[in-house]
Amino acid sequence: MSRYILGVESTAHTFSVSIVSSEGKILSNAKSVYKPPEGSGIHPFEASLSHLASAAPVLSEATGASGVGMRDISAVAYAKGPGLGPCLRVGAVVARTVASSLGVPLVPVNHAVGHIELGCMLTGVRDPVVLLVSGGHTMIIAYAGGRWRILGESLDLTLGQLLDQFGRHHGLASPCGRAIEEAAAGSSSYLRLPYSVKGNDVSFSGLLTASKKLLDAGKSFSDVSYSIQETAFAMVTEVTERALAFTGKREVIIVGGVAANRRLSRMMSTMSARHSARLAAAPLEYSGDCGAQIAWTGWLAYKSGVSVPVAESEVTQSWRLDSVDIAWRN
Amino acid sequence: MAPMLLYRGAEADILMGRWQGMRAIYKVRKPLAYRLPVLDDAIRRQRTLREAEMIRQAKQAGVPSPYIYDVDVPRSTLVMEYVEGERLKDEAASMGEDEARQVFREFGTDVARLHSAGIVHGDLTTANVVRRKGALVFIDFGLSFRTTRLEDQAVDLRLIKETLVGAHPAVSKLALEALLKGYSEVAGATRSRAVQRQLRGIERRGRYARVT
Repeated sequence: MSRYILGVESTAHTFSVSIVSSEGKILSNAKSVYKPPEGSGIHPFEASLSHLASAAPVLSEATGASGVGMRDISAVAYAKGPGLGPCLRVGAVVARTVASSLGVPLVPVNHAVGHIELGCMLTGVRDPVVLLVSGGHTMIIAYAGGRWRILGESLDLTLGQLLDQFGRHHGLASPCGRAIEEAAAGSSSYLRLPYSVKGNDVSFSGLLTASKKLLDAGKSFSDVSYSIQETAFAMVTEVTERALAFTGKREVIIVGGVAANRRLSRMMSTMSARHSARLAAAPLEYSGDCGAQIAWTGWLAYKSGVSVPVAESEVTQSWRLDSVDIAWRN
Repeated sequence: MAPMLLYRGAEADILMGRWQGMRAIYKVRKPLAYRLPVLDDAIRRQRTLREAEMIRQAKQAGVPSPYIYDVDVPRSTLVMEYVEGERLKDEAASMGEDEARQVFREFGTDVARLHSAGIVHGDLTTANVVRRKGALVFIDFGLSFRTTRLEDQAVDLRLIKETLVGAHPAVSKLALEALLKGYSEVAGATRSRAVQRQLRGIERRGRYARVT
């Protein structure tokens, strides 16, 4: 018999509620995305106010669209972290309220694990090298010995931050990835930018500074967008390739908001083909932040016995991926 | 005899062939199709030249590394000595505790020798160290460069730590301790402490880091 899990995501821009069945069917995935004013980034407190205002309508939309009665929900999962404190707290309050009123277990989920597990479920990959690229993460990950292990990461900015801070310098509002991708498509003139790979890690801070300087010096947004994409994406593709060669795995998956970028997925697909590895990417709707990543991972955790009493449920802004025990993958 | 492909690495193909009658490794940095050619050419050329030079300097610092037979810049190819032995990556899991302690201590002393000579390896994973008749031989200096900055040396150690924790969780604690012990023996306690402090600083800069 099917079981149903309700998941709440609210780590950053997105407030989302989803209901997922134990067979991995996503029955609903309602969301509301906070949009900062032009030229600025996410303001945690403003975002949390936006989430508060969206909470009730998003929750009703998710339950209404799912066709599942509230009494059929077996557990409620919430994103415990990592993320922005004020935003996390809104999701946790909603999840605690629903769990207590239904009298069902509450399941804490790590947001990054959520991206990975949902991506794996939707694409059918089993044991991949993961490239997690978003505003909050830039990591190359693979499973070993009970945990998702970090094989490489950015030493400073995340890929999402690099693109957003560059876009904001041009006057755009976060998230800027889409606008940068469109601007880049109109150029094929590469301007030399610093390419910084250190072992399995990358560093984007020099690249950001140099790109801003090019804009200030009057280079076109289109040419600099093209050049920043070519440089930064080649860097993350190179370190993913290193992890793939090192681990000898046969599957690669891209997850996180920046997975939506077509140039990045083309580079990753060329690279994967060289190693006869299969490249998978979660469908666009589910590659960025969403309730389904929390609901699905919540189900995996719940069925392996993970839950937390409401009185002890907390959120944590810093909760590193490789500190989470993954009981369901052995 | 045409060189035979041994291993397709991330940035280069490793082939085995002969050079002047000797067994030799051909390290060929082939164009990477995902990277823009103008960027790719510059990176491959620069890494090939630098690798040959850094291997020479490593030997000068007393750290075993392959002999370079030929440097072919237009083809981004290095021809070098074939190092007989097993990669540390493949042996780490099957080592006994005492053996692991001894091997990783030696690893640490070699890394400290490089650092003291103003070299960082830049790619200190267990795949890039070969055990030959008891001694460790460092291969793949493709990301190596000259520096005496604390930060660069700490990044070097960070990659070993990342590799041990990420790929060899069973021996990581013991191996790290031994490695740092060996490192201190050559670099001196003061310098070693400073590098480790810097390493913790780097880890804190990482996202959601909880320093261990």
